[in-house]
Amino acid sequence: MSGLRALRKDRATLAALATVALLLAAAIVVPYTTPVPYDVQDLSRTLEGPTAAHWFGTDQFGRDLLTRVAYGGRISFAISGTAVLAHTVIGTTGGMLAGYLGGTADSVLMRVTDVFLAFPPILFLILITGVLGPSLINIIIALSIVGWAGMARQVRAEALSLRGQEFIDAARALGATDRRIVVRHVLINVLTVALVRASLDIGPVILSEATLSFLGIGIQPPMPSWGVMIAEGLPRLRSEPYLALIPSVVLSLAILALTSAGEGIAEALDPRSRGR
Amino acid sequence: MARYLVYRVAGMLPIVIGVTLVVFVVGRLAPGDPVQILFGDISNPVVEARARAQLGLDQPLPVQYVRYLGSLARLDFGTSYVYRGVRVSAMIGAALPVSLGLGVLALLLAVLAGIPLGLAAALRRGSALDQGVRLLTLLGVAVPFFVVAIGLVLLFSLRLRWLPVSGWGTPAHLVLPVVVLMLRPMAYITRITRLGVLQALGQDYIRTARAKGLPVAAVTVRHALRNAAITITTTVGLALSLAFTGAFVTEIIFGIPGMGRATVTAVFQRDYPVIQAVVLLYTALFLLLNLAMDLAYAALDPRIRYT
Repeated sequence: MSGLRALRKDRATLAALATVALLLAAAIVVPYTTPVPYDVQDLSRTLEGPTAAHWFGTDQFGRDLLTRVAYGGRISFAISGTAVLAHTVIGTTGGMLAGYLGGTADSVLMRVTDVFLAFPPILFLILITGVLGPSLINIIIALSIVGWAGMARQVRAEALSLRGQEFIDAARALGATDRRIVVRHVLINVLTVALVRASLDIGPVILSEATLSFLGIGIQPPMPSWGVMIAEGLPRLRSEPYLALIPSVVLSLAILALTSAGEGIAEALDPRSRGR
Repeated sequence: MARYLVYRVAGMLPIVIGVTLVVFVVGRLAPGDPVQILFGDISNPVVEARARAQLGLDQPLPVQYVRYLGSLARLDFGTSYVYRGVRVSAMIGAALPVSLGLGVLALLLAVLAGIPLGLAAALRRGSALDQGVRLLTLLGVAVPFFVVAIGLVLLFSLRLRWLPVSGWGTPAHLVLPVVVLMLRPMAYITRITRLGVLQALGQDYIRTARAKGLPVAAVTVRHALRNAAITITTTVGLALSLAFTGAFVTEIIFGIPGMGRATVTAVFQRDYPVIQAVVLLYTALFLLLNLAMDLAYAALDPRIRYT
């Protein structure tokens, strides 16, 4: 694959991918290696700065910050991964059918995406989690609803361009059913666009989850999330700045790495930008 | 132009209906009974029925939705669930100017800083300045508002003690929030200005302009920047929406009495009418912003004429 070959030469993207892999591995592995679970309090050792026993220090309840940052990463990655997967499946299915079928189905779907794209993302998230409650499932649903319309638009445009092409006509001439054409020909061809879009979506989704959690209407304490930890550290910025600073740095690093990796992958896989 | 305007506004109608429908449905799905929330526990069924009729809740859902649209058209967002008898529009009326003012101020500064930065980076492509600008824009795009805010508060308020940590009222209170809000929009504007100018500089008409002896400065401003203006305008619209939504988080950190604080307070108090009103207002605002940007294209690019 020429896309992968292009990627192998792109050092910045490789570094970003390595950072993502490292953060992901840390989020999965670290909670097993640290001596205590994320919610165990040790009130005799509160607000200790970074030490040999607690690399990132402890918070106001004596909870180990490294464990909490890693566990928060697990939650962030799991939530954004699920949300992006969900909106990719919904958006790709909808966009593909609209683009391939055309006609009424197409115009109805496009009007619906118009409506969902009109909402400012963070406000739509606040509407759903604020009114229906900030449960884990509501957060994931809200994040998926925010993302699906853009995905559907892009996949639809790609499917539309396939419709008039000869290999589709050829398949139909050979007696293939609509269903077979959609699955064997259209899906395969829109998949790259969908995956590129998905890789670009993960960063913003993590940011949205962190923002929501920071505002107190996302992940609820005592469950750790980077946004929750930053909000909890804020009142102690003067005396123990590391409480807010460490999760802030990790969150920024994650978004930075995901954004650069996403852009690099998009450039490598997008047939239109290849060879530029 | 007038016909285009009518066409665009008519095209927005289904979107507005869809958006209000979504907000209406989410409001109906909210836990709790509005009658009980607004009037407390009523044991008398006659009184309860009257209260229900007063709120229009005895009507079928489609009728309720049409009535809801009617009250929205009069900018009536209902009464607060928490502060008895207080109109939601009055609660928002006090907070909205604060947030919008903050966003507009941040955007102005972002434009004033971003366009020259992007221009300079494009003209000295590959230089240290260009690299610095690229790093700054990458950070500006990736680092969340609240992380920037925390960094600036630590440095300028807690270490250097130049500026207040939080609060509202004096110009000094304005500095950090505005700087926090402008960085991300500025990153986008700088990035797109750099790209747009680079693209324009590669065109034939630039070579012609130079060849006929026009000074570099005139070529840059009159030809390259003017042609980049269309892409920059789109980004200014995007940047303004970023500044408006960014204000939500920034207000919380700096204790500013704007829409962000009003909304988060409403969420914690389960004051659903306020949440619904905020979402509707901002969505309407963003739709108008999009329309304004589209009209700006026509003004900036003589090739685009809507008939």
